[in-house]
Amino acid sequence: MHRLVAKQIAKATDASGAVDMNKLAALVGSAYDEFDRDRRRTDRSMSLMIEEIDAINRNLELLVAKRTSELRAREEDLRAQNMRFDVAINNMAQGLLLFDSSQRLIVCNQRFIEMYGLSPHAVKPGCSFRDLVVYRKEAGSLKGDVDDYCASVLRNVAQGNITHRILETVDGRSIQIVSQPLSDGGWVATHEDITERRRAEERITHLAHYDALTDLPNRTQFHERLKRELARIPEGEQLAVLYIDIDEFKSVNDTLGHQIGDELLKSVAVSLGRCVRGADDFVARLGGDEFAIVQTAVKTPAEVSDLVTRVFDAIREPHECLGHQVTTDASIGIALAPQHGTDLDQILKNADLAMYAAKSAGRRTYRFFQPAMDAQVNTRRKLEMDLRQAISDGGLEVYYQPCMSLQDNRITGCEALLRWRHSERGMISPAEFIPIAEETGLINQLGEWVLMTACMAAATWPDDIRLAVNVSPVQFKSGTLALKIIAALAASGLPASRLELEITEAVLIRDDEAALVILHQLRAIGVRIALDDFGTGYSSLRYLQRFPFDKIKIDRCFVNDIAEPDGSSCIVRAVVNIAAARNMTTTAEGVETQQQHELLRALGCAEMQGYLFSPAKPAAEIQRLLSSHAEGSTAVA
Amino acid sequence: MHSQQITWNPQAGWTPIKAENVSVVFYFGTRQILSCGARYNELRDMFPGAHILGCSTGGQINNNDISDDEIVAAAISFDATRLHLVRQDIGDAQQSRKCGETIGRALIREDLAGVFVLSDGLNVNGSELVNGLVAAIGPNIPLTGGLAGDGADFTETLVGGDCVPRARMVVAVGFYGSAIRIGHGSAGGWDLFGPRRQVTKSTGNVLFELDGQPALDLYERYLGPEDSKGLPGSALLFPIQVHDANQPDSAVVRTVLAVDHEARSMTFAGDVPQGWTAQLMHGNFDRLAEGAADAARQARIGLAGEGDHQFSILVSCIGRRLLMGQRTSDEAEAAGAELGADTLRLGFYSYGEISPHAKSGICELHNQTMTVTTFAEVGA
Repeated sequence: MHRLVAKQIAKATDASGAVDMNKLAALVGSAYDEFDRDRRRTDRSMSLMIEEIDAINRNLELLVAKRTSELRAREEDLRAQNMRFDVAINNMAQGLLLFDSSQRLIVCNQRFIEMYGLSPHAVKPGCSFRDLVVYRKEAGSLKGDVDDYCASVLRNVAQGNITHRILETVDGRSIQIVSQPLSDGGWVATHEDITERRRAEERITHLAHYDALTDLPNRTQFHERLKRELARIPEGEQLAVLYIDIDEFKSVNDTLGHQIGDELLKSVAVSLGRCVRGADDFVARLGGDEFAIVQTAVKTPAEVSDLVTRVFDAIREPHECLGHQVTTDASIGIALAPQHGTDLDQILKNADLAMYAAKSAGRRTYRFFQPAMDAQVNTRRKLEMDLRQAISDGGLEVYYQPCMSLQDNRITGCEALLRWRHSERGMISPAEFIPIAEETGLINQLGEWVLMTACMAAATWPDDIRLAVNVSPVQFKSGTLALKIIAALAASGLPASRLELEITEAVLIRDDEAALVILHQLRAIGVRIALDDFGTGYSSLRYLQRFPFDKIKIDRCFVNDIAEPDGSSCIVRAVVNIAAARNMTTTAEGVETQQQHELLRALGCAEMQGYLFSPAKPAAEIQRLLSSHAEGSTAVA
Repeated sequence: MHSQQITWNPQAGWTPIKAENVSVVFYFGTRQILSCGARYNELRDMFPGAHILGCSTGGQINNNDISDDEIVAAAISFDATRLHLVRQDIGDAQQSRKCGETIGRALIREDLAGVFVLSDGLNVNGSELVNGLVAAIGPNIPLTGGLAGDGADFTETLVGGDCVPRARMVVAVGFYGSAIRIGHGSAGGWDLFGPRRQVTKSTGNVLFELDGQPALDLYERYLGPEDSKGLPGSALLFPIQVHDANQPDSAVVRTVLAVDHEARSMTFAGDVPQGWTAQLMHGNFDRLAEGAADAARQARIGLAGEGDHQFSILVSCIGRRLLMGQRTSDEAEAAGAELGADTLRLGFYSYGEISPHAKSGICELHNQTMTVTTFAEVGA
């Protein structure tokens, strides 16, 4: 009997043993209900669960399909990435190696194998670091001991050091190896052939210190080496610095061209190189046509003189330049250390001063530095400063010297002359300050002022009196000379025909085409042009042919001795004749005696200037002179 | 130690008993029978020197029988074991942990050997109550007991400890000394079924969503229209097992205390933490009975045959009874077979069982289980 039935019967049985059938039926009925309900619940829950699990399965299938396609795509990506990675590492300029913590090769690119000429069959993932080094040794690219090399690399990897080493291979290449330890105990190494780079670096370093044309040390290198040498001059010895400037190098360039100029410099460089003897002596090119020689271990002045002689001999030898035989010369300045100072700047300055002294002395010679040179430079600098001050303070004046006709003793014009009355030194000669004004460019400002001042003054003179104004070659270079002249004429109201510009041959020596254009422009507006100081300098007659001057001024040196038995009277006569033949008048300068006056008149000279008649005078005095002269009274100073 | 069983029914009243030297009386009956307070007062008259504690139930276990219309009780006399009873009223479930701590602190003494606790079954978060008690007495003191029941009504539960049983009450009795031996066991026997689901929204013991869907929708679907009318009681047919996905051993079974049709939420007798994994369960009569036998076996083995005259309290879940109907007595019999005919067995159907976890040993609130506590005394 089922346990439950037994219980139900027991429950339906009373104390006397009688079974209450109604109670029993109720219990049995209720049990059936319970079983039915439980079965329904179970059925329901099972079918729901199956539905749910089905739905979950479908979702899972979808998910798996999605994930699978994602994985495929990712696999594809990875494959492409691997391919790119392979392409990248096999096409990099460096050899690349990746090792794991057990020193086994994981990655090696093609470049590494090629770089050392290794066998691709031997060098592949899995081979040991030491094997790889052995292969390199066998291939001849490793100079040292295999075990020492391995130990050194592994020690650095173990210590976590990033190392850069440069190995020189047996075949002369430089390989830079960078090893970088990785966190997993392995390391990555790049091998780069830096042979070319090193050569280029060396070349750049060389170019930074050597002149490209002559391959001599350049100014930078010259300074560095000289500084070193200055610091170690032994007791009892001297060091000589020779500054060598090739004379008239510019004309070589101008007349024969830059190529030949360059060839000359190269040839001079080679010649100078042969002149130096001492182990630490050297030649440098400081730029342009400037060279320098440092002579060390000088024990006697004769040694320096000997070197100077050798240098002159070498430079004066004709130089073969692209088929031309070029002769040249030099100006040499010499400074000695420690005699003339031990400071680099000091010794350079002194050598430079000495060289300018040699140039001033007419070039083709040499000068040792002397303390006086320094003083001269200082004086000159002081004068420049004073001149600037004078210009701004109005310390300059224009004087006028009359010019007289030799035919009728009438005043024909006046030459404007600049005068500077220095507050301490009194009158300063134009010969002293004009070169300074020309060098510094102040001449443009001064010239403009003189022109304007003189035109203003001349406009007040009688109509038949001309004004002569000197124009410096520097003013021609400014390019605005004609405009300034026109402006001065316009501002003063002076007719162009009363203005005469005096130029020297220096205007025509250089850039004469440009100067000729300006002269023609001036001539076109009616301004007269006179050639000043004729007879000095080159006095090429070609100048007279190239430009139709209105007047030639005969230099005072020919007037001075005109009365001497072997004097210049024939020269004056020749000039007067040439001038007459080309419709030019002549003016003699510096006439001081009556005898000179008479002779010039006899030789046919048209006009004269000089103390005999009148020195240069301030504007107010000349105004008076002109007034009285116009009234007919001839005054002789 | 000596234990005597007594019963009360409307026809015969209390069975006669020898009332001398009784240390403690446990009694269990339906809310309807206990609520008047007369039965407690009668017991108090019968055992003036004893601690008397009991609660309302979803049916009483009287050895192998299950009854609804009587009170089952046991009067225990200890030879060497001292007892201390603590009771605490509780306002609402938020105070559960604090209440547990208060009781635990009142009980803790150096020779505390075990605690048996009875709690209101509707207004207490059983998990928090247990956590509070364990925090005070420590994890090594055996703590067993259960939440009072109210049949399938879920209206009101009563608990009394040396007082007339009332709602919102927690009572615990502590056992002191070296002579007492307490064994315990807990097992369910429910079968997991259906897919594993994730607790996607919950607050404490209130579950809102599983896998993003309202939890109540799922239950109503599984219960069908007829059983859905019986909510929340019918939800006991499908308990839920929850566990932290990272700690599969932490799995506990939770039973429903209430549902909120508006919020589509369900309130469980213990926490259902958000993020944990949940799976529905269903019962098979035979395997539920085997579960009860397993719990009894654990409790018996726990005593290791020491002491004499063993007495046991069986606390089983109301859900088991709702499912098993007349077959409920199968589990009482299966437990009895394990414990032996000599062991007095009484107990009740509860809204939650308290016992150390069979695997972790940490005391927890259980649902849908049979828990068995055995008492014996040695020496003396």
